[in-house]
Amino acid sequence: MTFKGSRLTAASAAFALAAAIGTTGASAQTAPSVIKIGTLYAGSGEFAVSSQAQYDGLKFWAKKVNKDGGVFVKAYNKKIPVKIVAYDDQSSTSTATTLYNQLITQDHVDLLVADFGSVLTSVAVPLAKEHNQLLVDVTGSSAGFFSNDNKYLVDLSIPSSGVWPIPLAKHLIKQGVKKVAIVYGSNDFDSSQADTLKSELKKAGITPVYDHAVPTNETNYTVLLHAAAATKPQAMVELGYMSNDVAFLKSLKSSGLHFPMVFTIFPGQFKALMEKNAGKDALAYTYSYPAPPMIKYEQVSLGLNTDQFIKAWEADGHKSAPNFVNTAGYSTGILLAKALSTAPDMKQLTIRSTLEGFSGNTSTLVGPFALSQTGAQMGERLPVAQFQPQKDGSLKTVVVYPDAMATGKAIYPAPQG
Amino acid sequence: MTALLEYAIVGGLLYGIFFGLVAVGLNLIFGVMRIINLAHGEFVVLGGFGAYWLTSAFGLNPLWGVPLAALGAVVIGFPLYYAIVPRLQRSRDPEMLSFILFFGLAQVIEALVTLGFGPDQRTLPSDALGSGSPSVFGQAFPESWWWAAGISVVAIVGLWLYLTRTRLGFATRAIMANRDEALATGISVDRVSSIAFIIGLALAGAAGVFVPYLQGSVAPGIGNDLTTTSFAILIIGSLGNPIGTLLGGLVFGVGSMLMQTFYASWSNLVPYVLLVAIVLIRPQGLFGKSVRHA
Repeated sequence: MTFKGSRLTAASAAFALAAAIGTTGASAQTAPSVIKIGTLYAGSGEFAVSSQAQYDGLKFWAKKVNKDGGVFVKAYNKKIPVKIVAYDDQSSTSTATTLYNQLITQDHVDLLVADFGSVLTSVAVPLAKEHNQLLVDVTGSSAGFFSNDNKYLVDLSIPSSGVWPIPLAKHLIKQGVKKVAIVYGSNDFDSSQADTLKSELKKAGITPVYDHAVPTNETNYTVLLHAAAATKPQAMVELGYMSNDVAFLKSLKSSGLHFPMVFTIFPGQFKALMEKNAGKDALAYTYSYPAPPMIKYEQVSLGLNTDQFIKAWEADGHKSAPNFVNTAGYSTGILLAKALSTAPDMKQLTIRSTLEGFSGNTSTLVGPFALSQTGAQMGERLPVAQFQPQKDGSLKTVVVYPDAMATGKAIYPAPQG
Repeated sequence: MTALLEYAIVGGLLYGIFFGLVAVGLNLIFGVMRIINLAHGEFVVLGGFGAYWLTSAFGLNPLWGVPLAALGAVVIGFPLYYAIVPRLQRSRDPEMLSFILFFGLAQVIEALVTLGFGPDQRTLPSDALGSGSPSVFGQAFPESWWWAAGISVVAIVGLWLYLTRTRLGFATRAIMANRDEALATGISVDRVSSIAFIIGLALAGAAGVFVPYLQGSVAPGIGNDLTTTSFAILIIGSLGNPIGTLLGGLVFGVGSMLMQTFYASWSNLVPYVLLVAIVLIRPQGLFGKSVRHA
């Protein structure tokens, strides 16, 4: 090696070292002290219970992650604590619009997580798209949100509402039900389910004998039930939010009317709460979509499985057993953590494409994770179950469809009285 | 079709009578004090939670919530009146100030109820007011609906008798007609007004007892809707006249139930369409005698 050559080599090595140090220095300098996750919750109003449950699930994940020093972020090659920036939207879409805007434009959150349900998610969808901010949808399942021209939306923890009623329709057809009455809320979540249900029934030549939309905040069902009963349906399907379901079931109980089959959505997600608020007698023999942790996933590729989550939840000091929305909040957290640990940079669309990469090869405690091209969740399907009274007065959740998941047979028609 | 129509009308009458009770307290307070109680719905909610508390904690019949509402109205209403109303009356624009002040009060009550009972819905036992379904003209409704309508009629007629048959009632009406003249004639305006304020809150609380039955459940967040509907009913009927409020409730109830039966998704529009129509066509309300200057 000549002197000149060795000088050149040394200079090159020095340059490479300086560049490496420079790069590392830059990484350390640009890495934030916290990863800001912005979200909203409803401290009051009609979505308060569900929204706070979702928020609790997300906080549970953040607490667990921060206990281990934070989430590993590949873009910065280090663990960074998570900070949840959350505001109370009081179940109001107008308040939520302002607060989502604040999270994006003032707080500059790294990740934006929607509040519970389609109503409070709906206002965030166009806003996030406008600001090129990925909206992480937890439980806003309306099929209408998802389109090919919006890459800034991804649904992590609940199947698109467009696919929810497919098992229900198949169960009705299998049961030989020909006359179906449908009452549904005039919002994306409920109306997209009603559309799918009607479309699936139509394939079997069934047209609903009663088909009415009601305002989302409808709580008086007595006259509606009477009008539906006049069409003598074999199945009465009410598609609403929890406040609708409670009012519907209470009105049905006190009306003295009887239908061979009654279906509502939220008892499958909040069974204990619905037993308390609507009463076990009002829930007896009714049907719902049972959601985790009511149905258990023992084999998961990411995070805790159902039983582990229940134990960890109780150990964390929560007074009541976890419900579906708690698990959805937690599931969203672990999927985001995996995305951060895999994505090469923090660009919003990189995070989305990283999440897309998990589709079909990941499962969490809410089921198999599968995204459509539009970002809608097509995995995590919900079966149909019936709440069957037991001798000790409790209600047993019996999965009746699909056959592969069934734990018993439906009692149809439901006994009167 | 005829059976559905009959059912909607009978249901609407029962529902409307109940909403007459929901709104009448607001009418009284506005008529006497010229203040807009935006926390009215929250007092209805308090009545509902009072009945829930009596039922769940002591196993009592929810009807005990009616006297509890009266007692609660005295305990809350008396200090509240003297803390707020005389100050408002001395201001330049009591109506606008009351609007802001009671909005704040509504938020405070909602937050306190949420802290005390949680944000979720509460219901009352379905059979606590009877498990039968008495029928009129062949149209059966739960007993709770009949109880609600019956108590509402008794309360509203009682209020009408109070206003038209008692000395305090005469004084109340004198204040409604002209506060300054009433003061000049020696009427103890604050004393009479405070009683009217308490009666208004008691009627709201009593209505709340039946909310879990007619609205399916009671929750801390429903107060705002109840206030808005009450305002619509009050305008439809007439300001300052309890019987007008009852009739306004009937128009609202029958209209809502007819819409719910035949065009369910539009039923929420009923009170507001009626309100706009009444304000444009007959601003004194359906049963008012003269043009309102409020």
